[in-house]
Amino acid sequence: MKLYKVASLLLLCCLFTSFTTHKFYVSTTNLEYVPEEKSVQIITKIFIDDVENAIKERYGVETSLDTNKETEADRNFLKKYILQKLQVKVNDKEQDMNYIGIEYDIDIVKAYIEIEGVRNLKTLEIENTVLMDMFEEQQNIIHIKTPEMRRSIILEKENPKGLLNFD
Amino acid sequence: MKLIKYLSFAAFFLAVGMTYAQEDKKERKPGHTNENRFKQLYDEFSTPNAYRSASGAPGPEYYQQQADYVMDLELDDKNARIYGNETITYTNNSPDVLEYLWVQLDQNVRARDSKSPLIEPNGAQGADLASNFVNNYMGAGFDGGFKIDHVKDTKGGNLPYTINRTMMRVEMPKALKTGEKFSFSIKWWYNIPEHTVDRARSGYETFDDGNRGYVIAQFYPRMAVYNDVEGWQNSQFWGRDEFALPFGNFDVNITVPADHVLDATGKLLNRKEIFSKDMMSRYEKAKKSYDKPVIIVTQEEAEAASKGFSTAKKTWKFRAENVRDYGFATSRRYIWDMMAVKVGSKDVMAVSVYPPEGNPLWEDYSTLAVASTLKSYSRMTFEYPYHKAISVHAKNQGMEYPMICWNYGRPDKDGNYSDRTKYGMISVIIHEVGHNYFPMIVNSDERQWTWMDEGLNTFVQYVAEQDFGEAYPDAIAPNKKYPSRRGPAKNIVNYMASNQDYIAPIMTKGLNTYSFGNNAYGKPATGLNILRETIMGRELFDYAFKTYSQRWMFKHPTPEDFFRSMEDASAVDLDWFWRSWFYTTDYTDIGVEGVKKFYVSSKMTKQVKEMMAARGMKESDLPPLVYLVEEGSEDYDESMKNAKLDDIKSINEYMMDNMTAEERTKVKKPKYFYEVTFEKPGGIPMPIIAEYTYSDGTKERITYPAQIWRKNDVSVGKVIASEKEITNIMVDPDEETADIDTSNNSWPREKEEGEFKKFKEGVKGEK
Repeated sequence: MKLYKVASLLLLCCLFTSFTTHKFYVSTTNLEYVPEEKSVQIITKIFIDDVENAIKERYGVETSLDTNKETEADRNFLKKYILQKLQVKVNDKEQDMNYIGIEYDIDIVKAYIEIEGVRNLKTLEIENTVLMDMFEEQQNIIHIKTPEMRRSIILEKENPKGLLNFD
Repeated sequence: MKLIKYLSFAAFFLAVGMTYAQEDKKERKPGHTNENRFKQLYDEFSTPNAYRSASGAPGPEYYQQQADYVMDLELDDKNARIYGNETITYTNNSPDVLEYLWVQLDQNVRARDSKSPLIEPNGAQGADLASNFVNNYMGAGFDGGFKIDHVKDTKGGNLPYTINRTMMRVEMPKALKTGEKFSFSIKWWYNIPEHTVDRARSGYETFDDGNRGYVIAQFYPRMAVYNDVEGWQNSQFWGRDEFALPFGNFDVNITVPADHVLDATGKLLNRKEIFSKDMMSRYEKAKKSYDKPVIIVTQEEAEAASKGFSTAKKTWKFRAENVRDYGFATSRRYIWDMMAVKVGSKDVMAVSVYPPEGNPLWEDYSTLAVASTLKSYSRMTFEYPYHKAISVHAKNQGMEYPMICWNYGRPDKDGNYSDRTKYGMISVIIHEVGHNYFPMIVNSDERQWTWMDEGLNTFVQYVAEQDFGEAYPDAIAPNKKYPSRRGPAKNIVNYMASNQDYIAPIMTKGLNTYSFGNNAYGKPATGLNILRETIMGRELFDYAFKTYSQRWMFKHPTPEDFFRSMEDASAVDLDWFWRSWFYTTDYTDIGVEGVKKFYVSSKMTKQVKEMMAARGMKESDLPPLVYLVEEGSEDYDESMKNAKLDDIKSINEYMMDNMTAEERTKVKKPKYFYEVTFEKPGGIPMPIIAEYTYSDGTKERITYPAQIWRKNDVSVGKVIASEKEITNIMVDPDEETADIDTSNNSWPREKEEGEFKKFKEGVKGEK
């Protein structure tokens, strides 16, 4: 129930705000396939305050990321949320996501995630619904890079999945 | 004679090449118009006229209208309402006869019949709160918008008026001729919205103790702009696009509960009546304190006042001259501090107003940030002309008005805050105080061109943030430089590399852009930073930027006035930059396509032999030639690596014939010859900043101006003659051109030491 409240409040807010440095609702994810390491390497960048609000609404927990009050539990909620919202299928199969860790960059948290043992990349399906439970206008940009190509896709609430075929 | 012969030989080479090229293509290409990226902006710019000169300065017949206001306001703190009675005196300085006046009713964006929600597409939700459902679908939401009691002339007679949503047309008894004035009054009231709920630009916040903090703006019917470009700027206010307002003088009386602390645009005329004895003596101290703020109303006093609710009233009287707008903040829960700051030869007061909720952050940094901003902006543009600048703390707000602005940045309930809260707060204060310059004084049309104030302001904000970091190193420790979010070129790369379907050119009306923050703030600010640091240099840029700012101080510039002034004052042709950076969504991507290595030789190459045979020429027909042989080609042999220029007969003879012995000792003796081909997959023709690294480890940087791309937009070659071997070439080594793909920036191709790998190895190291 809470969730709907936030969603529609924010919808309303989008109508009237625009103050100044207020950021836009976007996350950026770089996904690179490195054949020599048989590895898909993901760095996803999300605004800290937005993701804190999402954790609060979703799990009912106030987190203090990037402060001296930050706890192990706070980081675990962040991990749980990101892994719940970011899913990658390689060659049509769900993959184990190795969540390596995070670092902070001013107002952004960068999460490093790896999928190992990818010998041959034929298809890649990525779903990123990070913060779409919070903001109607959230856009999640995915930059995909392999030795052969680069592509950028933008995921939105109506269309949160992208599929790439490398054959 | 020799020279002529040689030239014609070179021409002969060229001619052969061209013939082949044409024979390859059987079909003739159709003609085309001038699509050169360096084409001047004659098509995009309007023709200069007597109002706006070709130099970018106001023309000899430039005019602007004036709107003076006398207002009596009363706040009803109990019911969160504001009542006003205002008299507007409008002066028609235009050469046109005005048949009617347009007044802006911005509050109507929150009226029940507002069309703003209707232009936002949305999707159905599975479930909704009853209150939202009623609000959204049953029309019983917040009763916002102006309630207009009457519009009258000075004799008390009603004036006919028509309200079209956020605009009101007022009919005058007779048309207003050039030079004439017309006075009329409007009586109004409205319900103040709770800005923390509907995220309005102004309104009130309810503190935990039940008291309210009011930050009030767009609160009175305001004259629209009439000018030589738009006629009436009566484009409706939808909510996001900001404002266009004429300058004028304001006499404003604001009546609030007696226990409120209030500050506002303009000079406080009855300070002695309003201030307690303590406040007065603290104020006198603050006027002489140049290094730290003096508290005028303490936290204890604010907290004590918060326990009451005065039914007595006080009227605060202000006069503001030559301002385009008016705002005020009032609450019984406000702390107030001030310090003096020297701007040129005069003193300005840097002021902060904040509830205890803002501490400890606000008492530490707000006023210092205001003072630092005034110094930086005054250096970059013109001396701050007003007597004070106020930063008011309001939750989630970041909004600007003349002399006063609302800013976010709040510690949690225990007084803890993160670095991001601190930097967010300092940055927003610098930004909003900076808006005094753009658009409050350099008064561009925000409704049409968001970037003209936000972009220019965000650019100077970056300079001011860096200044702040230098002035207060302890405040930013352990950072060595202030961590600016916008300004550095590499910070805009993600946006410029993103999906073209979701990017609009900067030259787009703000309402209609995607990624508002990047489009109207980040990208123009970064563009100016690139001009300053890379293309023009600080000296030329700063002079031109200052020229623009001073030319249009207290006037209404257009984008062209900016573009033209920047070129006019610097003698740098920037049409190509404006075109690509402001008028398109092109991006920068320049790299090294390939490098060929050559050695000198006196041995005729196969290519020249074939050429001679085809033309029936003999060796004696040729001028003295030097041959360049590509490493690995069929003419190449290993011995050429050790060839010395002294061994090449033709060079030696030429020098003997044409140079003195002394001159001959001074010539360079390059040994290595490279043909470097630079590629440009991106649309923007940026300068090529090439850093050459030699085998002895030394580096040399050559910048080829953007005009190197004027005839070939795809790839260009450059020959480098060097005494030392080149081991590495790097394009844009300092990431100053917003190159979106740096994987092609080096030769030999370096595998980028990935961000991912670095982090992963760092994590492993910790374990």
